[in-house]
Amino acid sequence: MIKRPCGADTLVREMPAAKVDKARPTEMLALILRACQLLSEAFREIFDESAYQRFLDRNHQESSPNAYAVFRQENEQSKSRRPKCC
Amino acid sequence: MPKVLRVLLWIAVSLLGALALATIAFHRGEQINALWLVIAAVCTYAVGYRFYSSFISAKVLVLDPLRATPAERLDNGRDFVPTNKWVVFGHHFAAIAGPGPLVGPVLAAQFGYLPGTLWIIAGAVLAGCVQDFVILLLSIRRDGKSLTEMAKSEIGRVGGVVAYLAVLSIIVILLAVTALIVVNALKSSPWGTFTIAMTMPIAVLMGVYLRRIRPGKVLETSMLGFVLVLAAIVGGQWVSQAPTWAAVFTLTAPTLAILIIVYGFAASALPVWLLLAPRDYLSTFVKLGTISLLAVGIVLLRPSLHMPPLTRFADGTGPIFAGKIFPFAFITIACGAISGFHSLISSGTTPKLIRGEKETRLVGYGGMMAESMVAVMAMIAASVLQPGVYFAINSPAGIVGQAPEAAATAISVWGFPVTAAQMATLAHAVGEQTLFNRTGGAPAFAVGMAQIFSNTLGGQAVMALWYHFAIMFEALFILTILDAGTRVGRFMLQDALGHIWKPLGRTSWYPSILLTSAIVVAAWGNFLWQGIKDPLGGINSLWPLFGICNQLLATVALCVATTIIVKMARAKVRVGRARYAFVTLIPLFWLVAVTFTASWHKILDPNPRIGFLAHASQLAASGGNPRLIFNDHLDATVTGALVVMVTMILIESTVECLRVLSGSKTAVTKETPFVMTKLALEEQA
Repeated sequence: MIKRPCGADTLVREMPAAKVDKARPTEMLALILRACQLLSEAFREIFDESAYQRFLDRNHQESSPNAYAVFRQENEQSKSRRPKCC
Repeated sequence: MPKVLRVLLWIAVSLLGALALATIAFHRGEQINALWLVIAAVCTYAVGYRFYSSFISAKVLVLDPLRATPAERLDNGRDFVPTNKWVVFGHHFAAIAGPGPLVGPVLAAQFGYLPGTLWIIAGAVLAGCVQDFVILLLSIRRDGKSLTEMAKSEIGRVGGVVAYLAVLSIIVILLAVTALIVVNALKSSPWGTFTIAMTMPIAVLMGVYLRRIRPGKVLETSMLGFVLVLAAIVGGQWVSQAPTWAAVFTLTAPTLAILIIVYGFAASALPVWLLLAPRDYLSTFVKLGTISLLAVGIVLLRPSLHMPPLTRFADGTGPIFAGKIFPFAFITIACGAISGFHSLISSGTTPKLIRGEKETRLVGYGGMMAESMVAVMAMIAASVLQPGVYFAINSPAGIVGQAPEAAATAISVWGFPVTAAQMATLAHAVGEQTLFNRTGGAPAFAVGMAQIFSNTLGGQAVMALWYHFAIMFEALFILTILDAGTRVGRFMLQDALGHIWKPLGRTSWYPSILLTSAIVVAAWGNFLWQGIKDPLGGINSLWPLFGICNQLLATVALCVATTIIVKMARAKVRVGRARYAFVTLIPLFWLVAVTFTASWHKILDPNPRIGFLAHASQLAASGGNPRLIFNDHLDATVTGALVVMVTMILIESTVECLRVLSGSKTAVTKETPFVMTKLALEEQA
């Protein structure tokens, strides 16, 4: 009895869909990476890391304890007026 | 995807949602799986988002992708920053998600899981999401103006004043009721009190690390803080078992209330950034993590609901709070269905971050859907408990008695069997001395959550750790609400007092800071004290008061929204028609019916368990404490004053709309002039 590889006699192997299957992992990976990147950006925004980076860029400064102290002062003034929801 | 497939997909989603809703509505006699609630919610949200929010975007608000938003026009890298829509979504969700959607459904579960769940799902899709979405867009078209400013400019002076007073009142009541939840969760609990006490030195350590060692690395610092908090939870077990230390951290309700009042004042008046900012970050970190964990836990475990769909307390005789399903279920659950407080966030930080008008749909409508899902999860957490256990935890001593045996008997007589031994075993499993009379919703939610978590991860052996993790999670972010809310209230008061005497309006003038902080803390502290002295547990009177305040604020927001939509149509600012104002009018009518009926009952109902005045009369007749009588009168006065104020804004708004519609007044909206976007065009290119 001749052993044939599974699916060797089906049309599926010859269909161009195989190409799509090859492309899909890359697309999926890109999608997952983008989702992770967005999640990371969201966290950075929620936790004020992006705001600190913008502060450094705006003032052409490097991150340092002094720069962070000035940022916190500036940030607190606007943040302390924001209500937190129930 | 081909159109036919898309149509078929949406038909399938709608049918699945209908099946799930029918299952939870008509299933009687047997337990149902919690996943039915999740499926009903997800399918309804999906259909609501795809069709209803799309209709509002296209026909009512006529979103304009070419119009530059304030984030683009006023970009200053500080308050106005064009931000990715998913990032704004996360930011907005983190700002609107508080203890409300967790506690409200737990309390409303006394009616059974059905009324609350239906209100959460329908209320969110037809009212809450609409309010958040519309107010966000209207604020964006007005350079990110606040709700109070929009009420003043679009309705009139009365509107502005009423909105201001409603916001201040709700902040005061919110702070009192959330503080009461913490007190009830931590009283006589050395483990919980120790864990929360430890968050203070942990936050200070985080502050030093963040400022001196790794400036700006907030996420990293929050993770470190989280690990330390987990260590504190484990340490709490040791503290609760060491007699000397357990005695130190076993505090009564009045002691805890005093400590919280002192903390609130210090947080508002003193420069304690070293403590507050890191703790705020830690709280957000724990909040987002725990909510995600709960969602995963429910989906993995697929627990059965032990609570019946409807309990006998639909008749208004509930032990947790008295009153029938209408209107009380609808004011008890505010944040998960519609919350006026959200309109403050939608007209606060969020409109200053949105990059394009089209993104308001995802952030405003979608953000509220996510919040509503949290409320459904809270309802599940409460309903997985045996009803007898649920009522034993949530019923006040004034209703079921102080002694465990008496309480268990009273609850069993209602038809929800529970024994003192069963409660003692449960209390032991979660590391508490007792779970009877732990009103406020937080302990019941924590027990439900601990059951879900422990069955998913770790088993019964770690149930006590999960319970205290849940208590820590609730208490931590309630305390951040307390300090942030006290400061916001202080600023609002300073703004108002500045009109009377200028120096009082100076936010950096210390006498003004001390005075206004003291006034705000005294206001909420008074309600908190009233709550802990109330033999019925405080939640019975304070939570409905909070719900009424919150829903009245939503009424104000919907008044503003309706007036502007009518004006927009008449002024032909957009091609939308005035009749489309039904999208905000229908929830407005509903909220007016709910809040006004609830207010009437809370003030004038002859049942002393419902009406403030009847309760005061009962106390007076029995020679009761004059302080409690005064509190009842105060609650009645606050409720009445809010209703009168909201009636005024309703009348002013109606008159404004009628004048515009009849043509006796020219419709003028205060939108900022159109400026063509560059961002969207650059992105397209």
